[in-house]
Amino acid sequence: MTKKRRIIAALTCLGLIAAACGDDEPAGSDTGAPSDTTTGDTAGTGTTTGETGGPASTTGDTGSDTTTADTGGDTTTADTGGDTTTAETGGSSVDPADIEFDVGIDEETIRVGMLADLSGAFAPLVTEITEAQRVYWDKVNADGGIAGRQIELVVEDNAYDVPTHLEKYEAIRDDVAIISQSTGSPHTSAIAQNLVDDDLIAIPLSWYSGWADADFGQNVFETYTSYCIESMNGLEWLNKNRDVQTVAIISFPGEYGGDGSTGARMAAEALGLEVVYDGADQVVPPTAENANPDQSAVISQIVEADPDLVWASINPATLGSIMSGAIGQGFEGLWSGNSPTYSFKLLGTELAPLLDQYYIASTYIVTWDTDVPGMEEVVTAMTEGKPDLPVSDVYILGWTEGQVTQAILERAAESGDMTRAGIVAAANEVEVSFNGLAPDQTWAGEPNDFVVRESYIYDVVLDQYQEASLGEGGGSTGWELLEGPYTSDLAADYQYEGPCFEPTG
Amino acid sequence: MWGRPNLHTSYRSETSLLPTWTQRVAMGIFVAVMVLLPFNLPVINQLPFVRFLGDQDWLRIVTQAVIFGIAALGINLLTGVAGQVSLGHAFFMGVGAYSAVYLGGSPGSGTWGHELPIWIWLPGAGLCAALVGMIVAPAAVRVRGLYLGIATVGLVFIGIHLSRIFPEISGPSETGRSWPSLDLRLWKEETPLVSFSDDGHWLWFDISGAQKTYLVCLLLLALTVLVSKNIIRSRTGRALQAIRDRDIAAEVMGVPETKYKLIAFGVSSFLAGIAGALFASFIGRLPPETWDLLLSVEFIAIILIGGAGTVAGALMGTFFVVMMPRFMEELAGWMSEQSESGGPAGKFWDGVVSRGDDFGVVATTDIARGFALPASSLDALIYGALVIVFLLFEPLGLYGIWLKIRNYWKGWPFTY
Repeated sequence: MTKKRRIIAALTCLGLIAAACGDDEPAGSDTGAPSDTTTGDTAGTGTTTGETGGPASTTGDTGSDTTTADTGGDTTTADTGGDTTTAETGGSSVDPADIEFDVGIDEETIRVGMLADLSGAFAPLVTEITEAQRVYWDKVNADGGIAGRQIELVVEDNAYDVPTHLEKYEAIRDDVAIISQSTGSPHTSAIAQNLVDDDLIAIPLSWYSGWADADFGQNVFETYTSYCIESMNGLEWLNKNRDVQTVAIISFPGEYGGDGSTGARMAAEALGLEVVYDGADQVVPPTAENANPDQSAVISQIVEADPDLVWASINPATLGSIMSGAIGQGFEGLWSGNSPTYSFKLLGTELAPLLDQYYIASTYIVTWDTDVPGMEEVVTAMTEGKPDLPVSDVYILGWTEGQVTQAILERAAESGDMTRAGIVAAANEVEVSFNGLAPDQTWAGEPNDFVVRESYIYDVVLDQYQEASLGEGGGSTGWELLEGPYTSDLAADYQYEGPCFEPTG
Repeated sequence: MWGRPNLHTSYRSETSLLPTWTQRVAMGIFVAVMVLLPFNLPVINQLPFVRFLGDQDWLRIVTQAVIFGIAALGINLLTGVAGQVSLGHAFFMGVGAYSAVYLGGSPGSGTWGHELPIWIWLPGAGLCAALVGMIVAPAAVRVRGLYLGIATVGLVFIGIHLSRIFPEISGPSETGRSWPSLDLRLWKEETPLVSFSDDGHWLWFDISGAQKTYLVCLLLLALTVLVSKNIIRSRTGRALQAIRDRDIAAEVMGVPETKYKLIAFGVSSFLAGIAGALFASFIGRLPPETWDLLLSVEFIAIILIGGAGTVAGALMGTFFVVMMPRFMEELAGWMSEQSESGGPAGKFWDGVVSRGDDFGVVATTDIARGFALPASSLDALIYGALVIVFLLFEPLGLYGIWLKIRNYWKGWPFTY
């Protein structure tokens, strides 16, 4: 019976090891017992709001210049930053110590979550956007934080994979107060219902008109204008300023292409333009398996129709192959399209002279170093914070994400309720000013009242384009603002009732 | 009596699932741990390597591994036991998932769905996939080995193409559509008889939706293990192995090749279909690109790393492959913590991790420059290297390593 003894000995050893490795603290205690809710009174809301100023100031301030900083004697926060414009963010009408809070916030920190694609398909872009947000929060923290609290970023990598996105959401849901970035449409829609259940809000890094659907994207707060309105603005501007009379519309199949091309078609009809080739859904999207699919059908149709303008809702790589193909076959019209159709990175390719000559770009926010009030702050902070990164437009996206989050949190702090419910309520009434970086944004009232109708029209200028790291200085992404924020008559009159393009499902 | 591992006095004892009492007790403990895993129980949560698996986010990964385990057992039958290399497994999972959403999903504007209960959509998903699998099977009689692998790659692309031209089934390409949740209904009534996805109260315990989902998937995996084991140790299993080892010889011995390849494809696709439906329902909303070639390759890696042809190996491989990315991430975090701690150990880890400019192998910043790679890229490298290493040195995979450990301890302390 030595075997029996051996088993007993082995089990005893295992037991000892297990006991030694055990944790004395009850394990698994991280399952989201919300931190103690302070039930501070919210008295004092009658006093006027101090001017919050700064890049992300809520525009609803009453303009009183009596700064009410340090109302509650909580002096640790309000005067840490040297920058006087934002130093009084702690000076909301409610004493920071009296603010109610629950998950993701305590007396000293506010935890802001990010579900970012740091290793998946869009990692090159999203990592830079994420870095910009880091720089943004560093700046906010240096200026005293929000409501006397420092911001702590909780960044999780979703690898552009839906199951991973859900898993990481699960990991941070009981840990953060707000999600300042959720990369990807399928990913964000997979957590849309959970967001509602958890009373948590997310700012999507995805422009999908479905978020406007109250049943679906209730807690997903999308920023900037829609592809549909962007198309209307683009076509009307080109019609008035470049005398475009005939147009070809090309797009990817699916929601993005559908929304963009529907807007273009509506605009063409309203402006009396002739659609000589409707190639909506006809462009073959590249996939992981076939990065450069054959676009010759679309190219030959464009050349044959010979329009004044090709309006595209595609991506930069595909634009490259279609543009070079069509121009190679003798087409000489203008090109334009929804925002992700063009990227300044195309100026690093042999296509650059063609883009310089034929492409008019449309965007929903400003690009790097455009002359707007808020830009200097971005450039300075980014150059100091991340001198190694190359000059790029995407930092503005990260920056504005931070601005939206800050505005929502500050609004919640002002009302003295930074519980999850309070933050959701704040998001539904906040007015975000991007200080010129993007059209102002709000989600208060009916969609038709708050839908963003402005976009920007840029010219592509190859001479200005200069690759450089931020630290070196002198880098440029080669844009020249022609007009913006621009609202076309069509967009101004447009009655928003829902997405232009009804995706099936 | 206790029984000896390799001493069999009857055919029955040789083919039994758990021949010795040691194995039976070990299996009993293992099953008990797996069942109690998600609950924060005093003993279980003390076990090293087990206690954190019950946490919310880890439980998701474990559940995913359990679901993938069902599909892995499917491809193990086809590729491991019957020797038919298939890169179309993701396609069959997709067929299962879309059959499930067609049968059980709710119709939307422009999407089809019949809102049937789970006892129709889950088996239906398996059956539809099995049917498609059996249509493909005759091709396997004509082409062999690598050529079959290449032929089945085509399925994946056909699948993704079909999902594009039938948005009525697959939903909009950006977001996919939402799958029915795991609820047991008798028919289409409002409140489910038993909900497996919402928080609730079972017997004397509060139980969360995630825990319920895990238990249901675990039960289905256990059933699949039984089915799979029983197929392998039966006449069918032996026929499949004969075909794998030499198909012409098998046919000469009277094993009808077409019939058994049909069975192999059918059962394998059935399991893939079930797993696909469960997975989609578990995630809730998936775009069609989920069922791509990479997923198929992942399953090949699972059975190669785990050990082709063995049930335990397939499961080990699944858990390994599904959980490794997260482990790598945790490891990178741990290393970066260690490197900051100072001391000789800290110095060592400081040499391993890189924070941007300094030398290191593992990057801990979001943007990696130069030689260092972020953990997320490293796990893909390790994964590839492991497949090669296992193929060269340990064809039985993790299962083979387990065998070696077991045999070592069998003779302990006189192992030489």
